[in-house]
Amino acid sequence: MGRVDGERIIYWALPAVAVVWLAAFFLFPGFTPPMSPRSSPAQVAAFYRDHTAQVRYSMILFNWFCVALIPLLMLIVERMRDMAHRTPILRYCVIGVSGAAPIAFLTATIFWMCAAFRPDRAPELTQLYNDLAWITFTCGVPFLVALCLFLAVAIGLDQQDRPVFARWVATFNVVIAVALIPAAFAGLALSGPFAWNGFLSFWVKNVAIASWIVVMAVVVGRAMDRDHAGAEAAL
Amino acid sequence: MKRPSVLEDPKRELWLAWYATIVFYNIYTIVFFILTRTQPPGKPWYGPEAVVGWFDGRHDGLLIGFALIFALGGLSATSIALITYSIRRMSVSRAFAYSYLILYAVSAVPGFLFICVVMTVGAMRPDRSPATQQWLYDLGFLSFSGTMGVFLVGSLIWMLAILLDKNGVFPKWFGYLNLCNALTEVVVAPSWIFHRGAFAWNGVIAWWIDVVVFGAYTGVFIYLLRSLILREDFGTGPLPDRPPSGPARVAEVAAS
Repeated sequence: MGRVDGERIIYWALPAVAVVWLAAFFLFPGFTPPMSPRSSPAQVAAFYRDHTAQVRYSMILFNWFCVALIPLLMLIVERMRDMAHRTPILRYCVIGVSGAAPIAFLTATIFWMCAAFRPDRAPELTQLYNDLAWITFTCGVPFLVALCLFLAVAIGLDQQDRPVFARWVATFNVVIAVALIPAAFAGLALSGPFAWNGFLSFWVKNVAIASWIVVMAVVVGRAMDRDHAGAEAAL
Repeated sequence: MKRPSVLEDPKRELWLAWYATIVFYNIYTIVFFILTRTQPPGKPWYGPEAVVGWFDGRHDGLLIGFALIFALGGLSATSIALITYSIRRMSVSRAFAYSYLILYAVSAVPGFLFICVVMTVGAMRPDRSPATQQWLYDLGFLSFSGTMGVFLVGSLIWMLAILLDKNGVFPKWFGYLNLCNALTEVVVAPSWIFHRGAFAWNGVIAWWIDVVVFGAYTGVFIYLLRSLILREDFGTGPLPDRPPSGPARVAEVAAS
């Protein structure tokens, strides 16, 4: 078992993790469709009373596995070592946001589970937990935005004959960063595209995150194959 | 001599990170001091009704200002990366650099994401009960000024690295300025206890003196990081002296 095998285990664990993420997403009744910020405290309390078990189980799954994004990010960080950079600055930037990005989501799962822990408490307090969960989940994008921008710059500056990632991956990361930004403004609207259940803040943002994970997993897989072929040839 | 373009400049990554740091601290100052007016902080002794009035007085500012942090707050990683790099440049163990990187990377969630979330939640429903609004207000300010350890230990790590370093990456006096920054995190601890006076979260010691020290410290380290980049030669040994500037430099080039 060498370095290569270990990285392959991390990599091929990803499809299993992705299945858990998707299952948790569809198990949480507050996502399909996303809960409205206009719901009254009584409606919010009724939601947690009626769906207590699904909220708990879906959020336990997310709490366990949302941080499984970090190993994927570290596979990317390892590939960044081969970029034609003179300093490790951009690698440190990516490491610097890699922890906080999924921890923001983990914090949201804690608020959702607290809301479901005592569904019979005063409705206003359940609404408070619900608001904290949704704002943390929706607006908690600064580290993901920065991650995409750092990667875009890193790939753009990787000027060599065979760059680690193709040039279009930099453009793709800029597009994803732009797609995530409207969600930051979700606090300003209780309805419409910017509200936490709106087209931009919910659908565009979450589809962008899912696409980013799929695309980056594919390109990092290719870069790993090339890297590993080189490492094995050198043996 | 023509300055090399950004893409050709061998120090391009360092400069990009440095300018991003400048952008981040400007946004941070504008958001906290002007848009949200959460600095200087609200009064810790406000009752529930006064807190509702506090939220009413800055409703749009809180929502717009913190939305900007939600969008761009991740740029804070650039200064952390530059400082981590500065420590890697020193003649000390990598453990110092990685400790600093992790301490400051995790500080982002309790240190500034919490206040943004909590104040946004408070501002988006002004009709919530005053007692609940006060609960959010307390959580916002206390998590912001009361996240202490990561900055305390982080500053001490950087201080120790500078004092042990033989490569002359930073002047030794800056090592001691790190100690001043670490001490602000010590004297802010009583803000968890006092509602009024110099030690309260808006007090002369826990806020005014701390903010002056932190502001000076931040300004100084941004300037020193700039001079680190100017002197950088991508070696591992001592940093070269800064080249003389102005007429002396011209004369030197002409003579060589």
